[in-house]
Amino acid sequence: MRPPVRAPAPRPARTAKQLRESVAASRPRSRLDSDANPLRKGLRLEQVPDPCAFVLFGATGDLAHRKVVPALYHLWRTNLLPAEFSLVAVARRPYAEADFVAELRASLEKYSRSQPIDEAAWAELSRRITYHRLDFDDDSGFDGLGQRLDELDAERGTAGNRLFYLATQPSQVTEIVRQLGRVGLDHEMRGAGWRRLVVEKPFGRDYDSARALNHEVAKVFRESQVYRIDHYLGKETVRNLMVFRFGNGIFEPVWNRSYVDHVQITVAESIGVEARGAFYEETGASRDILQNHLLQLMTLVAMEPPSSFKADALRDQKLQVLQAIAPPDANGVRNHIVRGQYGPGWVGGESVRGYRQEPEVDPASETETFVAGRFQIDDWRWSGVPFYLRAGKRLPKRASEISIQFRDVPLRLFRDAAGDLAPNVLAMRIQPDEGIMLRFAAKVPGLGLDVRTVHMDFAYDTSFAVDSPDAYETLILDALLGDASLFTRADEVEAAWSIVTPIINAWAEMAPPRFPDYAGGTWGPEAADTLLEREGRRWRRI
Amino acid sequence: MAEDLTEGLGEPLAAPGPSRANRPDAGGRGISSPAARSVGEIEAQLGYLWAEDAAGRARVAQLQADLARARAQAATRAAAIAAAEPAASDERHVAARSSVLNLIVVAGRPETAERCAAVIAATAGHQPSRSLILSAEDPDGPAGLEARVHARFQPAPSGPAQTVAETVRILARGETGRHLASIIVPLLVHDLRVALWWPDDPQLTSHRAERLLPLADQLIVDGMSWSGDGLGRLLALAQVAAPGRLLVTDFALLRQARWREALASVYDLPDLRPHLRGVRSITIEFAAGASEPVSSTNLVRPVYHVAWLASRLGMSVVSPLGRARAGTRTATLRQRDHAVKVELRPVDSGLGPGSTVRIQVASSRRGSELEGIVSAGDDTVEVEVLEMGRQRIRRVFPAPRLNEVDLLERAIEDGPSDLLAAGTLAMAARIIGPELPAA
Repeated sequence: MRPPVRAPAPRPARTAKQLRESVAASRPRSRLDSDANPLRKGLRLEQVPDPCAFVLFGATGDLAHRKVVPALYHLWRTNLLPAEFSLVAVARRPYAEADFVAELRASLEKYSRSQPIDEAAWAELSRRITYHRLDFDDDSGFDGLGQRLDELDAERGTAGNRLFYLATQPSQVTEIVRQLGRVGLDHEMRGAGWRRLVVEKPFGRDYDSARALNHEVAKVFRESQVYRIDHYLGKETVRNLMVFRFGNGIFEPVWNRSYVDHVQITVAESIGVEARGAFYEETGASRDILQNHLLQLMTLVAMEPPSSFKADALRDQKLQVLQAIAPPDANGVRNHIVRGQYGPGWVGGESVRGYRQEPEVDPASETETFVAGRFQIDDWRWSGVPFYLRAGKRLPKRASEISIQFRDVPLRLFRDAAGDLAPNVLAMRIQPDEGIMLRFAAKVPGLGLDVRTVHMDFAYDTSFAVDSPDAYETLILDALLGDASLFTRADEVEAAWSIVTPIINAWAEMAPPRFPDYAGGTWGPEAADTLLEREGRRWRRI
Repeated sequence: MAEDLTEGLGEPLAAPGPSRANRPDAGGRGISSPAARSVGEIEAQLGYLWAEDAAGRARVAQLQADLARARAQAATRAAAIAAAEPAASDERHVAARSSVLNLIVVAGRPETAERCAAVIAATAGHQPSRSLILSAEDPDGPAGLEARVHARFQPAPSGPAQTVAETVRILARGETGRHLASIIVPLLVHDLRVALWWPDDPQLTSHRAERLLPLADQLIVDGMSWSGDGLGRLLALAQVAAPGRLLVTDFALLRQARWREALASVYDLPDLRPHLRGVRSITIEFAAGASEPVSSTNLVRPVYHVAWLASRLGMSVVSPLGRARAGTRTATLRQRDHAVKVELRPVDSGLGPGSTVRIQVASSRRGSELEGIVSAGDDTVEVEVLEMGRQRIRRVFPAPRLNEVDLLERAIEDGPSDLLAAGTLAMAARIIGPELPAA
């Protein structure tokens, strides 16, 4: 495997394909068109998706049943999908259409966030579902799919607009994309409908495979047609992080190396690998969380203000952050990255088994279920400010949080009045109780001068009456509207892998780890604490 | 935990009727103060309530720490240390004010005050406000006031955060009732938006309005509840609205959101959108009152429908609303180079007088005739599109009616950014015409 390299800088368009892409990118998107519906102005949604066919590959799979179809159902019942909508379910298993629809209905009972199911809404949506069986390597199946979509354009008015959603195994992505290209389902022609491709993570399993995957996708689809889903970016608090940073004037002036001591980002899960042992054996915490969720959160915290909230303006800034992180060498991995694996323990008062005792897991597995690291962004804003990232399974609680720890006051005037006055912290809780907390010092009322650290909490669910949509609803709606700002671009994916791949490679060269090294229900291995303690810091209590 | 804390602290107000499903308002606790007889006493009691809130938080934190410790004892030693750590912390949670606005309610009658208090209580968890509910009685009796402060503490569904909503019920008597502004000003929370909710029949051109409206950033009314046809009051409402200074939110207009969404959906189809430039007629069928003459049926809602369409589609008024036969009102608008016929037509219906029964928008464009028809039930809205007389689309949207709690929450949340209300109200005034005396 060749060492990861930086994603190349954008070059002037040269090939015909690049030229076409460049022209398309400069064209105003449909949501900005002057022929927008004037009656939508001031309504809940100022634009609704165009008529379209939603082609769901892997429609019989877990992701489709748990997330994608419930999200579509919610969008439908809240009138956010057009009447001229068709869900084309594609999978390999033979199914009678009615049986398949009945199975989706049963899944909604289990996974829909609102119960009971709205029968009238479901009846309307289910009339728009059609099942198409095909093997992903079968040319005739894809030929048939193309014909079926043409028929739906005529029957249901889907107007040639097609969104291909790949809720399949990662290994099937390349073949499906190739087939879509072979039958011309990627072609966009002016006035004849748009074509979009939604791909689920993981986007590769290291730098080389990610590049190869992007290369294969780019042979067929232009980058502006590709929507890579990291569902974390669809969460309300993550989106609100941008509003918090760039919608408030008071934080940006202190959001830099002059005022910030360090940043901590935690994505903690209390659950184990559940029924996904085989999957997790192949991924581990680094691939599952660090490469995407953690680094994406880091980019949102650290990026420069974009010139607009358009997709590429935002993603350019995120990319710059990733490109400013030096990939660790073997020594850096040894000193600044910690991996761990949970053993048996107790979580929430219940006894839990160790990772190696989980189903489908090798009893001598070396897969990490915990990863923590110290990262450095080498730019003017953040130079010298460490970013500590950690993620793990079977930690004491489910909690995701970003905390900005500010520098201590230059002179401790109240040294005698407070035992150990903690520096200011601004913490943004992503889950479970989404909110923002500010820690500061205050005088205890009374005649003396007693100073204490206090927390000022803001909780979203006590301030906004609106139910937050599921991340999949947000992201699917954005893809249907052609808004790619919450999706990951190819160069971002590669830049993230260029940071994580050296870590994985270095571990492969090292002596086998002594796993398990933390008990279920604790905050990871001791080495994770040491990582901060040797710099005079510690992980925030969450 | 919340139950433990409510012991002996008084009963929260009951919410009126059914509200939105899954509303996490259940639970929480309330504290009521003894009666106050001056603004100074009210201020003192509000201060006491915040101190009580801080003490309550301390108790919640202690209970959580105890619970964490108890759980930890059942786990391994390592887990015990991790879980009990928060209990050992010397940090404190401050009672952060999470109020979102000052809400002044001008409740003419005691029963209105009661109803509004219950609505506010139901929104407390999401819209923690300082609410001043004003009513006046016995205008010729001796001057004085009586007030009661009630605080509602609403814990978050998870985590230690909670909101506090304070309600001050003020009953002014005699001369004091004519100087409500002097009571309100000292009781407003600094720097917070002020919304003035004037239910029932607001006297928008009265001396009281002259004093109260300048205090407010937002005026909340309900045009549906106005007496008579409501058009004079609608005209007055348009006159007091001052974009940038006084925003106006009418529950009657908010209720129609589902109609607007449905009608807009007709023209989401790109090939039908050009028809919006060729509207020929707008017909609103509304429920005639069974026991009252059509001339006194409230027409605010039908007028709003037309005003919204006209303002969004760039229409001007050629001839304002006039009476035609059988209680029908007609007007003529102009869009570009063609006339648009407007008809508000009463029909027999089981719905309340003035309720919209059906909206029909007819248009023609390059020889193609289109009709968009919307009708609504309690929980759904139905859209039908006829192209050259043949059905092109029929769709039923789930869209339940909003109750007063939902409406108040929307007014608070969306009012400041409501792009639609100002344009609709101004157009409504033009459609009604200038000859009506303002209420």
